[in-house]
Amino acid sequence: MNDIGSSTNPEITLAMTGVSKVFPGVVALDKVDFSLRAREIVGLVGENGAGKSTLMKILIGVSQPDEGTISRDGTQISPKDPTDAIRHGIGMVFQEGTLVPNLSIMRNLFLCHEPGFQKMGFLSRREMRKAASRLMEEVKVVADVETPISDVSPAERQMVEIARLLWLSRLYGQKCPVLILDEPTTVLNDGERTILFDILRTIKKEASVILISHRLQEIVENTDRIVVLKDGKNVTELPSSHAHISEIEQLMVGHTFSADRYREDEQTPAGGEEILRVENLGRRGAFEPISFVVRKGEIVSLVGLVGSGKEELCQCINGLENAETGSVFLNGKKMLMGSPNGAVRAGIGHIPIDRRNDGLALGMSVAENVNLLVMNRLTYAGFVSPSRERKNARAWVDECRIKTPSLGTMCANLSGGNQQKTVIAKWLSSRVSLLILDHPTRGVDVGAKEEIFRLIRKLAREGIAMLIMSDTLEEDIGLSNRMLIMKDGRFVKEVSCPPGKKPGPRDIIDAIV
Amino acid sequence: MTEKKIAAAGKGLGTAAARGGRIRIPTLFYAVALLFVVGLVFSLGNGNFITGYNLSTIISYAILLLLVGLGQMCAVLVGGIDLSVGGVMSFVSVSFVIVVQVIGYWAYPLFILVGVLVGYLNGILLTRIRIPSFIATLGTGGIFMSLAMIVAPVPVNVPTPKWGYLDIFNGTFLGMSNVVFIGLLVFLFYFAILRFTATGRNIYYVGSNIRMSWMSGINIARTRNLAFILSGTGAALAGIMVSAVQYGCNPYVGSSYILPSVAAVVVGGTALTGGTGGVFNTLFGALIMSVLQNGMNVVGVDQYFQQSILGMMIIVSVALTFDRSKTPVIK
Repeated sequence: MNDIGSSTNPEITLAMTGVSKVFPGVVALDKVDFSLRAREIVGLVGENGAGKSTLMKILIGVSQPDEGTISRDGTQISPKDPTDAIRHGIGMVFQEGTLVPNLSIMRNLFLCHEPGFQKMGFLSRREMRKAASRLMEEVKVVADVETPISDVSPAERQMVEIARLLWLSRLYGQKCPVLILDEPTTVLNDGERTILFDILRTIKKEASVILISHRLQEIVENTDRIVVLKDGKNVTELPSSHAHISEIEQLMVGHTFSADRYREDEQTPAGGEEILRVENLGRRGAFEPISFVVRKGEIVSLVGLVGSGKEELCQCINGLENAETGSVFLNGKKMLMGSPNGAVRAGIGHIPIDRRNDGLALGMSVAENVNLLVMNRLTYAGFVSPSRERKNARAWVDECRIKTPSLGTMCANLSGGNQQKTVIAKWLSSRVSLLILDHPTRGVDVGAKEEIFRLIRKLAREGIAMLIMSDTLEEDIGLSNRMLIMKDGRFVKEVSCPPGKKPGPRDIIDAIV
Repeated sequence: MTEKKIAAAGKGLGTAAARGGRIRIPTLFYAVALLFVVGLVFSLGNGNFITGYNLSTIISYAILLLLVGLGQMCAVLVGGIDLSVGGVMSFVSVSFVIVVQVIGYWAYPLFILVGVLVGYLNGILLTRIRIPSFIATLGTGGIFMSLAMIVAPVPVNVPTPKWGYLDIFNGTFLGMSNVVFIGLLVFLFYFAILRFTATGRNIYYVGSNIRMSWMSGINIARTRNLAFILSGTGAALAGIMVSAVQYGCNPYVGSSYILPSVAAVVVGGTALTGGTGGVFNTLFGALIMSVLQNGMNVVGVDQYFQQSILGMMIIVSVALTFDRSKTPVIK
């Protein structure tokens, strides 16, 4: 780091120094430094799981750092919740939005801070209207301030949130508010995007902005400085005026590309047998009709940015969402759509991205989680047999090398990696023919990652077809036989990845962005 | 900032909330210990507490509570609650008294079926019409409570010539009342369903993590319906039993079992958030509640004060077992 990292610089309005955060089984942030000057827009980039969100959550007090300090205009602060953070003039506009939909713009703007508008004990509507209109002018929203939030566009909602944060900062006497925008443009169209950045440039006169986005183009065009995180560590920072997209991509993905790590030599060629056939599957607003095939023992990786439609595509295949057009065939049989039950019965397994909430019953034991799908097979004369239950659980715990004190240990007490292995074990025991892996290595440590890669290779050898979405491009290339690249809901390109002749990340980035 | 905002942020983080979850204690052990402590206190308080006659009073109330409680537990395990047990029990008990005089033994399967159907209705209200079970069962409970009073506005009795039909409950076997064996049988039935059938096991999965269960292909609606059917059945069985041992009953009988049934479940250590607990917990929960209710009378605790002790029991047990990670905002 250079001089701009030092907190003695009077220009620095916010500095995070040596911030570390450890979650069970994974180091999310490792001594990260981050600083923000007054009236500056900084772009924060990194792949999923690089630690951007964790860093920002620490800044707004949603989580607390294990190590490290935060200083604001030279004084040390430790925000304990978002309310506390806004008192220091730090606020975040969330991706999903956090306004109350049935209240008006005005009520949302001043929510919980109305007392300032009291006159003789009563709220003065006129004063509120006046203040609200002034604020809306600042962020160029034309809608009447009495309009309910549910009736305004996503872009305007964002503006209302920004205006609220600005107003709150002023209320608490902060001269230079810090606004954090998490993927603000994903819900906007091109015109709205331009307006957003226009407004950000205006706001810049009195505030600092941290911009998180996967669209590197807009980061390069609209920020002053870019900070790159990778695997919870600072990689570098560079002035935007000198930045090139491809260069940033390289920094995000990392230089090392080891064939070893992904057990490339163990990659099996795809068998001839067709396991999954997707025909003209489409869902309006998510992805356009797409067709492809996954063969026995083949690992196909779906690559694309957030909003490319790959997540929605997988959700349609495993029945969480219903597609509008097309059909899915598994082992030649047409599948019932829009029902996870139908997908599971057909033989589709799903390792969800959020394993704690979607993959496990955390309050139940490892054995119970492993046996979930096969309970009706572990019976003796129609009744579930405890000894067969134990045997099945033991076999899969050994097979997947789940490190657990006992079969009866509660899943909540396992590390992230072992939880993930438990989810994998659960699906394997039910003999799936297609496994959809949604970011299988998200939030697990390096050792567990290796184990998961080993398992994936083994499954491929046993003939299970796999559809993977990975955290990193490197992982996608390393693991897959074939990559399907999607962009803005459309299928763009197919790249084959035979062992020994894997394409480099740079060859693929162009197609993704 | 609003609570909603914090909740949304917390949800994104996920892990923090989940890690700050429930205190893990072997709840069954605590329930057994509590039963002994409570029993000991009352025995020391009054020598008459431990007499044979009083013990049989305790046991017979405990068994009734156990039947309602086992059902209630199924609803709670799946993450719901069944407040209709009182109405069902009242309706079944008075109608049973009237109908058993006409159709004899057929009244037993008939009213068990009534319990099944009411439970299924509650299940449908939850899974199809999507009304929270708390409200749905409050509604059906009210309906059946009033049906009970329409059927029998005043207490009804089984006339002496027809008492033979009730011998199943009033006889003795091996020197013990048949009621004990019937209670044991029902207990084993619930135990077997929850432990040894795949559908019964799904009750735990659904209660523990409903989204994961759905994504894993478990039929959520069927599982929840089954839980409420088991609940209705328990209430109906208790209704039949209460009429049979008293040779009649009044239409209000069920209303005094609603809260105690929930209390028996949670005091035994079944989490109100679903997914953990079981029949043994409810067995001890029912015994504790029965011992408390009886013991407080025996040692002469003020009638007006007794309710507050039961209230405190519920609060403390729920505080110990409630899984707060499942509900980011406590309503």
